[in-house]
Amino acid sequence: MQPQFSKAEAGNAPAGALVHDDATAKWFLVSSVAYFFIVGIIAVIIAAKFVWPDLMGTMSWLTYGRLRPLHVNGMLFGWLLAADMGLAYYVIPRLCGVKLWSEKLGLATAALWNVIILGAVVSLLAGWNQGWEYAELPMALDVLVVVAWIMFGLNLFMTVASRKHQAMYVTIWYTMGCILWTAFVYLTGNFAVLFTTGTNQANLNWMYVHNAVGLIFTPIGLAIAYYFIPRASNTPLHSHKLSMVGFWSLAFVYVWTGAHHMIHGPISQWLQTIAIAFSVMLLIPVWAVVYNLFATMKGQWHQLRESVALKFLMSGVVFYLLTCFQGPMHSLRTVNAIVSKTDWIPGHAHMAVLGCFSFFAIAGTYFAVPKIWGKALHSQSLANWSYWMLMIGGLGFFTTLWLGGFWQGWQWNNWSIPFIDTVIALKPIWIVRFVSGVLMFLGIVMFAYNILATAMGANEEAAA
Amino acid sequence: MFKKADTSALWAIGLSLLLFFIGGILTTVVPPLVDTTWAKPFENADPAKGMTGKVVPLTDLQKKGREIYVREGCWYCHTQQVRTLLADTKRYGWRGVDAPISTPDEFVYDNPHMFGTKRTGPDLARVGGKYDEQWHRTHFRNPRDLVKGSIMPPYPWIVNNPAEFQAMVAYLQSLGRGKDWRPAQDYEK
Repeated sequence: MQPQFSKAEAGNAPAGALVHDDATAKWFLVSSVAYFFIVGIIAVIIAAKFVWPDLMGTMSWLTYGRLRPLHVNGMLFGWLLAADMGLAYYVIPRLCGVKLWSEKLGLATAALWNVIILGAVVSLLAGWNQGWEYAELPMALDVLVVVAWIMFGLNLFMTVASRKHQAMYVTIWYTMGCILWTAFVYLTGNFAVLFTTGTNQANLNWMYVHNAVGLIFTPIGLAIAYYFIPRASNTPLHSHKLSMVGFWSLAFVYVWTGAHHMIHGPISQWLQTIAIAFSVMLLIPVWAVVYNLFATMKGQWHQLRESVALKFLMSGVVFYLLTCFQGPMHSLRTVNAIVSKTDWIPGHAHMAVLGCFSFFAIAGTYFAVPKIWGKALHSQSLANWSYWMLMIGGLGFFTTLWLGGFWQGWQWNNWSIPFIDTVIALKPIWIVRFVSGVLMFLGIVMFAYNILATAMGANEEAAA
Repeated sequence: MFKKADTSALWAIGLSLLLFFIGGILTTVVPPLVDTTWAKPFENADPAKGMTGKVVPLTDLQKKGREIYVREGCWYCHTQQVRTLLADTKRYGWRGVDAPISTPDEFVYDNPHMFGTKRTGPDLARVGGKYDEQWHRTHFRNPRDLVKGSIMPPYPWIVNNPAEFQAMVAYLQSLGRGKDWRPAQDYEK
């Protein structure tokens, strides 16, 4: 039996419709949007530090080394994951045709999540840094993250277990996959590393770092895209079979690729080769998903003109295609020798996490918030502006860092050029990066204001 | 099999964990068992067998310096790995001697590992013995006094705290010294 989107979707049923409480989704979405704005300020500051290295440089807690982990952790866990979780609390009950298993547990999860993020701000600024990328938070906070994740997982799994529709739409598999894989990936990156050193530890660390993107943000992001693209365009998903190919190949292929962060580095060559082979195989799940989502929009592309959510969603799919083409290419030894460790890499990483997954989360938030609060979006034109600011700022950011990074890589490969000359050469690049960052930040401000103004009721008009 | 996972949550859970664990275990648990150099510190006293040297655990002072290196996030901009690239061995060499390629057996005592992912500044895997204490003092106070065009932040609170500064320098001087790669060319000689 093929789960049909319209059948599985209960949110729009006219008579005797189930009324969703959505209290948990509300808290997660509002706090994540607030963190998006606050951490956006940090992001602009660290971009400015590349241009003015002495800026705020006399206070230890405002140096680049303290603010960068705050930027990364704040954006990943304060904004993106929290927004994704909020959207999952919105989407999963609707796809299951039942209420969320426990709103009380959900609200407790939201409260705990905020405690974790505030704790992260204090500890990272104080320099309590464990020294592993993406796993900087001190042990006490790591334990709280595990507790919060169990609360989140329990709530959604119980909702799925009590579902009305037997067939599960693809969004449900991706969400369940995300919850399960994240659990093990997080335990590896934050707890298993404690028992290892050196290369062995680095291998676990990169397994976590890579899969934080590949098995946390990818599945939950795709869960959101698979729900909101058909929903916002009112079009059924192109192919159920293709979505199965994408999901099960992702489940198998992604976890093998961690060692591609150490290509040419002090780690066994055979392990590098395995990571490269599987990185290239990633093209299978990516192209299956991207084709499916594009084909869904066939004949419907004109809808992008009217819908900001669809603009974000489909741009996100394009960025997903691009970033996941770059990834496998970077892992090839020849390409890696040029781009690895350069400014190309933040260009690539921002396209994945901002250009793709944050665009999905923004789209979901723009779509869900008016429905949850039962009001029209505060301003359509402001939403449009937020899209163009993020799009133009984002493209400026990605492309300049790619160009600059590639150039830097060529320079490094000519060892007659002193290192400092390769730093000075990049100064114009960092100015463009800062300006693009300011544009993106303006986009974030418009988005956050629009969402909060909608929620706080600046516009009382009921949703159509 | 995959069809069943469409309608049964238990099948979906079981299958997605099974597929995940195949790659998960083969790439995390198995490699250190297969490649024993990951856990055996480098040691060679016989010049006929290649470069000599011995990797030893850090002293307490060096450890304290390493903690500062972790705390200040130095590792976000400085890697510690000479890769298997000719350019790396040349660029991070010293006075005409190429830097030896970093091998897993040099990092057995590293916790947390400091390999890094980004070179906003130069690699530090072989920086030990290249610059003396006075150079580091001036450089930490304001990097641009010594390296025009540098974008490294100033670290006056390290220089102004003699205990921290001594520890930091002791750690930096230890980097890459497990291999005797330039016995006659240290700053102190």
